[in-house]
Amino acid sequence: MTVAVQAGDLHKRLGSTQALAGVSLTLGDGITGLLGPNGAGKTTLLRILATVLAPDRGTLRLLGAQPAERSERALIRARLGYMPQEPGFHQRFTAFEFVDYVAILKEIGDRRRRHDEVRRVLDLVGLGDDAQRRIKALSGGMRRRVALAQALLGDPRLLILDEPTAGLDPEQRLRFRELISRLAEDRCVVISTHQSDDVSALCHHVIVLDRGASVFAGAPRELCDVARGRVWLADDRSAGARLSWLTGDGRHRHLGNGPPAGAQLVEPTLEDGYLLLLAPPARAAA
Amino acid sequence: MSTHVDPDLLCAYAAGEIDAAHAFSVEAHVVRCPTCQAAVAPLADPARLDRVLAAVEDELDAPRVGAIERVLRGLGVRADLARLLAATPSLSLSWLSSVALALSFSVLAAHHGDGGMLLFLCLAALLPMAGVAVSFARALDPTFEIAVAAPFSSVRLLLLRATAALATTIAMAGLAAVALPGIGWSAVAWAVPSLALTLASLALATYVAPLTAFAIVTAAWLATVLVNATASDDVLAIFGRPAQLVLVALGAGAALVLARRIDRLDVRGDL
Repeated sequence: MTVAVQAGDLHKRLGSTQALAGVSLTLGDGITGLLGPNGAGKTTLLRILATVLAPDRGTLRLLGAQPAERSERALIRARLGYMPQEPGFHQRFTAFEFVDYVAILKEIGDRRRRHDEVRRVLDLVGLGDDAQRRIKALSGGMRRRVALAQALLGDPRLLILDEPTAGLDPEQRLRFRELISRLAEDRCVVISTHQSDDVSALCHHVIVLDRGASVFAGAPRELCDVARGRVWLADDRSAGARLSWLTGDGRHRHLGNGPPAGAQLVEPTLEDGYLLLLAPPARAAA
Repeated sequence: MSTHVDPDLLCAYAAGEIDAAHAFSVEAHVVRCPTCQAAVAPLADPARLDRVLAAVEDELDAPRVGAIERVLRGLGVRADLARLLAATPSLSLSWLSSVALALSFSVLAAHHGDGGMLLFLCLAALLPMAGVAVSFARALDPTFEIAVAAPFSSVRLLLLRATAALATTIAMAGLAAVALPGIGWSAVAWAVPSLALTLASLALATYVAPLTAFAIVTAAWLATVLVNATASDDVLAIFGRPAQLVLVALGAGAALVLARRIDRLDVRGDL
């Protein structure tokens, strides 16, 4: 396995918040999904991996180089694609002009080669026919795809995508999965998401962050296993459950440590594992 | 005389080996003549057609070139750098016209005594720094995050934009100074303070956000000017030669700090 990201004990304070409090991770090729509640530190971690932020403390190697060293940082950036959580646009730009602007910042060849590359990435995200439309005239989902297109410029070895599927409709999400899974065959892709089905459908590796620390790292199947034997269906509310909700078919789905004897256990999903991992300690019986 | 294009000429046309005048007349005929179209089709080199088509496509896609960008290119700035510079907020027409307006008013005020002159000098010293701060303020750059992560060095981009902002503002203040009453020392007395303040705000911007740095330096500068104007008999003493020497020293110190810490601005997601 080629190691694309190697981080040890990353700390980052932003203002009065300890955004990261000791995160370590090692990532190779394939797709890593970053899950966690809002404020868990996902965006801070991705911004550090994208060389936008420097960690206060900890070690970091990206694509074998050290981002803290100016000369090595330039090498990393040349092979890095980054889609920020809320990418800003010069609204009066067309999609083509925006991606071309970023292509200049990415120092992609002369004018002709650069324009070819801009067309290539816009075609990849399915915006080839909308290249000449102004950004302000595009829908939210299309803007996300423009933002994704710029991240793909120059065929980066390390692709950092902060909530790439937010605001996409189901069909666009499917197209995104097709594209990213194809790209991830020979590169390292890190995405953050609130959609646990993105992770189960797409990711080879999951990291769950909570309050600036990594509370889980492993395969998606292992995150499901966290909830194995701890998910059951019942006709009524159960006092022993840590989390429960009434499902559409009129039964209660319970997550917790102690299913009652004879309870109808069900196959856990990745979301069950995630919820149990982050659920507050057992609630007092209601 | 035949009504169709001579085969040899058609051959040369297909290969792109005839001059423009002949090519135009051949084209004028071929677009309306199915027989000649059929004759020329197998002669044309597909690779050449692809190149021509790609060139046409590229012209159609080519980004529009705005007024600022045209001026920059006219000044000999490389096309791609002109594009990056044209997106600088403090090179926008709205910013430049605000600066022009502020300078005009202060020049008018300068015609009404020392207080007005102080206002002009004070403003002319502040505006270049303001232009620089605005040129790389995160809040005003929608592509900030993407730009920081891109290979084009953030420090280089910042210095390019700062230089362009500084040059335009200083040129405008210089022009305004020509309209001052009684051209003399006062016409250039703002130049050293403006450079010193700009360097100070850049050095401070390696610790805090650009607009915060700008606000701190502005506050310090205005306080100094006011204290000096009330304490001294000469309200313009702060622009006198001894004060200029102090500002030169301050600017030099700031430049040293900036040189030592400039790499901080290359990873400035938190500034």
